[in-house]
Amino acid sequence: MSRKLDYPSAADDVLVKAAQKADMQAFEELVARHRDKIYARAVSMMRNEEEAADLSQEAWVKAWQRLKQFQGEASFVTWMTRIIINLCLDQLRKQKRLRAESIEQLDEESGGVERQMPVVTPNPTERMERGELRQRIDEALGKLSCEHRTVLILHEFEELEYKEIAKRMQCSIGTVMSRLFYARRKIATLLAGWKREESR
Amino acid sequence: MINHETELKLQAYLDGELSSGEAKAVEDLSTHDADARALFEELKLTKSVLAENELEVRLPESRGFYWSKIQRQIEREEKGRATEQTETAASSWWLRFLAPAGALAVLVVLVVVALRAPKGAETLVALDGSHEIETPLEETSSFSFQSEAAGMTVVWVDSHRE
Repeated sequence: MSRKLDYPSAADDVLVKAAQKADMQAFEELVARHRDKIYARAVSMMRNEEEAADLSQEAWVKAWQRLKQFQGEASFVTWMTRIIINLCLDQLRKQKRLRAESIEQLDEESGGVERQMPVVTPNPTERMERGELRQRIDEALGKLSCEHRTVLILHEFEELEYKEIAKRMQCSIGTVMSRLFYARRKIATLLAGWKREESR
Repeated sequence: MINHETELKLQAYLDGELSSGEAKAVEDLSTHDADARALFEELKLTKSVLAENELEVRLPESRGFYWSKIQRQIEREEKGRATEQTETAASSWWLRFLAPAGALAVLVVLVVVALRAPKGAETLVALDGSHEIETPLEETSSFSFQSEAAGMTVVWVDSHRE
């Protein structure tokens, strides 16, 4: 006789195995554990809470349907994050908010704008409270174009390599590098600007 | 001032995306060039600040409510898929039946036509050089008249003939 699974204390991989055998309660536990992270990633990419909620819900439905394909090479939450990222990228492309490569961005991406920004020294985030810093960073991310923000999120938060980002964003590695460079420099400049305003 | 290619190399070095040979060259540059070093430090600082400070966001819905929406959507899609599969199975059953039935019908028609056709049945009556009447089979209830001069062809079909 099989023992009943203790869902709240079971590890993710145990819950995944149970869910793969159509145990919905196990899947519900996985949703409860990781729903905030998946939703947060959608919010950061879409910059719209309603859209993010819809997309994260869709991601969980897709995950249930494809659960048998999950082999456990990465953690379940990494696998889930990949699903939400792909859904967000598809949605951004549909809305034409995400461009692969374009002439308009040529100057920006070949080092025009960002090279004029002075290098930021010293650390503008020193003595800034963590909550405030997080808020500032989020505001700065909101000031970036969709392409720059997406590259930054995929690289800094999801720790994807240039090659992987280029594949997902359907652009060249060179474009990824330029976008990342611009995005980092812009964030540094924005943080320094806020710091200067505060110290006046 | 360092060029854009070098700037990107500094960044790639920071991200661990360079080969060991390239990494050594960039390391040397950042040691000896003040501009390169300053830029490298800025990129490094931004990277570390970002990595540790992503804003925490929580889904503004209760566990039960959120799950109920997901569960309903899963069930709706599974139901839709099941209906689709039933329809596909039904149509494939019809296709499985219709294909051999159609082939059989064509075969039967060919056999009947062949059996009922008497030898030399095809008749062609030439009225003159440019007019002719053709009755393909004696039993069939159609014949045609063709006039090259008038540029016309008329086909009679007798639907009452036994």
